Amino acid sequence: MTGPSVVFVVDDDPSVRSSLKFLLSTVGLQAETFDSADSFLRKELRDVSSCLVLDVRLPGLSGLDFQRELATRNICIPIVFLTGHGDIPMSVRAMKAGAVEFLTKPFRDQDLLDAVRVALDRDRARREQEKEMADLRRRFDSLTAREQEVVSMVVAGMLNKQIAAELGTAESTVKVQRSRAIEKMQAESLADLIKMFQKLQPLSEKAS
Amino acid sequence: MSSFSTSRVNTALEDSIPEAGASLESILCTEELRRRPSRPPDYEKENRALVALMSTLADSPSTIFQTLAETILDITQCDSAGLSLLTRDGKKPDICGKRFYWPAIAGMWNPHVGGGTPRNFGPCGDVLDQNRTLLFRHFERRYPYLMPVSPAAAECLLVPFYVAGEAVGTIWAIMHSDRRKFDAEDDRVMASLGKFASSAYQAMSHIEDLKFQVSEREKAEAEVRELARGLEAKIRRLVEANVVGIVMWNLEGAITGANEEFLRTVQYDVEDIASGRVRWTELTPAEWRDRDEWAMTELKTTGIFQTFEKEYFRKDGSRVPVLLGGALFEGDGNDGVAFVLDLTEQKRAQEKLQEAQQSLYATQGELARISRLTTMGELAASIAHEVNQPLTAVTNNANACLRLHADRNLDPDVLRRVLEEIVADGNRASAVIARIRGFIKKSPAEKSKLDVNEVIPEVLALVGPELQKNRVSVECDLKKALPLVLADRVQLQQVLLNLVVNGIEAMTAVTQRPRKLVVQSQIEESGELMVTVRDSGTGLGSEADRVFTPFFTTKTHGMGMGLSISRSLVEGHGGRLWATPNSPHGAVFSFTLPADGSSS
Repeated sequence: MTGPSVVFVVDDDPSVRSSLKFLLSTVGLQAETFDSADSFLRKELRDVSSCLVLDVRLPGLSGLDFQRELATRNICIPIVFLTGHGDIPMSVRAMKAGAVEFLTKPFRDQDLLDAVRVALDRDRARREQEKEMADLRRRFDSLTAREQEVVSMVVAGMLNKQIAAELGTAESTVKVQRSRAIEKMQAESLADLIKMFQKLQPLSEKAS
Repeated sequence: MSSFSTSRVNTALEDSIPEAGASLESILCTEELRRRPSRPPDYEKENRALVALMSTLADSPSTIFQTLAETILDITQCDSAGLSLLTRDGKKPDICGKRFYWPAIAGMWNPHVGGGTPRNFGPCGDVLDQNRTLLFRHFERRYPYLMPVSPAAAECLLVPFYVAGEAVGTIWAIMHSDRRKFDAEDDRVMASLGKFASSAYQAMSHIEDLKFQVSEREKAEAEVRELARGLEAKIRRLVEANVVGIVMWNLEGAITGANEEFLRTVQYDVEDIASGRVRWTELTPAEWRDRDEWAMTELKTTGIFQTFEKEYFRKDGSRVPVLLGGALFEGDGNDGVAFVLDLTEQKRAQEKLQEAQQSLYATQGELARISRLTTMGELAASIAHEVNQPLTAVTNNANACLRLHADRNLDPDVLRRVLEEIVADGNRASAVIARIRGFIKKSPAEKSKLDVNEVIPEVLALVGPELQKNRVSVECDLKKALPLVLADRVQLQQVLLNLVVNGIEAMTAVTQRPRKLVVQSQIEESGELMVTVRDSGTGLGSEADRVFTPFFTTKTHGMGMGLSISRSLVEGHGGRLWATPNSPHGAVFSFTLPADGSSS
């Protein structure tokens, strides 16, 4: 396991909850348990990779309704569904809505642990990606407007001379701005900078 | 005879005055008539008077009694004269009457015309009783109701007259003073006038009878005419309203007349009928001819034929179902009338109803099948959920232990705690299985002493998923220390399950208020146990009495057998099951069970 993570278990049956917590602990996973969807929703989530192990049949909000509710609240958390008597349409619905796995009780312990691992990995990857994007964005934002302009032209494949002509400045000035921008973006090479900009592309398009 | 219609006698006065002391003998002085000096007879006057009376009787019979009274006054030279007639109704003379009335009075008492005296207590009655002429002196001494009749009668000569040997009245002469006294001559003349009164009475009576008969006949005839006019109008209304077909016919098969409704029914027109082309015998399809023959026989013997259903051909050859009934007219016994009701619509409606019923039966069969399948599916789901929870916990815990054990990392304390949990969950699973098995088992009634308070939670646990799915909250109000009942556990569970599931289903449509189910156990004053299941559903409305009827259902699925069977089961335990409305919403189903006497 890389880094801290937590598994949220939501099941109305106390035996099931505690046994799941115990099982997860054997592979070093920390679990927090809830008896209903509502009590989970009241919980403030920490910024660690996490996933949900969720019984479909819950008091109050059902598992599938809960999944929808999370989506409307823009909470992205991978879900492993558990059910006493899974039927195919229900599992299809859950999977389409982004569930990692749909397990029928009683399940093989390895299946659950695998599913939880996949879910946590998926969450971790998502978090890392989000973090990287945020980082890039932050770096890009630290550039001056002229530096951003120059870098965009560099990435677009223009030569320093062309950029200077375009912006109406001296080529030496462009050179300085360019190297400062590369430094601020922490790019190791021009290729690295271009990769960064490709990732930023959707963001900068949105921003413009 | 205007005097016949009025009566001035104050009957209230008569009734209020008690019988006076004076005896009949003390007011009679009849014997004196013979002792008193008699005046000579005036035959000429007498004859004249009799001739005048006869001519009055012939010319103007209505005045004969008054003429008679005046004749008495004239011949006897008395102060008042008149006659009394025995009557039953105050109008018609009648020998069985209870009163005498005075149709005619001349002289001083003339204002008292229309008055009279009772048959059983009065001077006229005395005369009839003794059946002879009597002379009274101040008869008001004995008959106080005559006191107000003024002037008082110093002497009164009363003479009976007869019809067919029966006394029916009296004629009388009164002296109000001692100016003169009646004598033997008066007695003789009065006897003679009495005979005339008798014949006048008979003649009058005949005339009256005749008049009465004539007027009665006229009245009856007028009534018949009136009735006929009314009836004719009513019949015409019936015919012209065209609500039923009316057809006139004769026994030979001709149709002699018909209203529009009949023509519409058989789709012929007036010309078809008028031309005589249409015959009822030919309107009738062959297979109905026998039935027609039967109706003919009925007609010939009783004059009518009873209503029956048959078919007619329409003009286009198609058939129309009809109901008809009819009668022969009085007279030659050949012509008659019948009403004809077009049954097309009724038949069509009936067919539709039958079709609907058939499809209903089919649907019901299908529903019953689906309902069974659904119940099985629901039960399976319930079992799966109930059993899978502890099983999941057991496998999780055991697997976790295996993992720790493989890593040589299993703390004995942790192992003991987890093993305890495994045992608890294992027991829980087997309890669920036992409960469900006990529930499904189709064993004959096996009665044992049991606590209703134990059965209720069992059933509620079983429907837990249903309650959850339908967002129904349950409140249990169980009376502590309930006496045990001798009952079949499975059957009791079935009854409770049925009531609870019904309650849940009754609330599925409810969105405006909480869906709440209250299950209550209590002890009745009679010592019986009562269990009630209340819901806040849509209620029973006017159907409360029908819900226990087999196949009655308000649900879109379900056979309507649940409550019927439940009632049988409860009654099999000596209890009762009934439904009442819940306030303010929903229904209450209650059942009682006798407490087992041998328990606390």
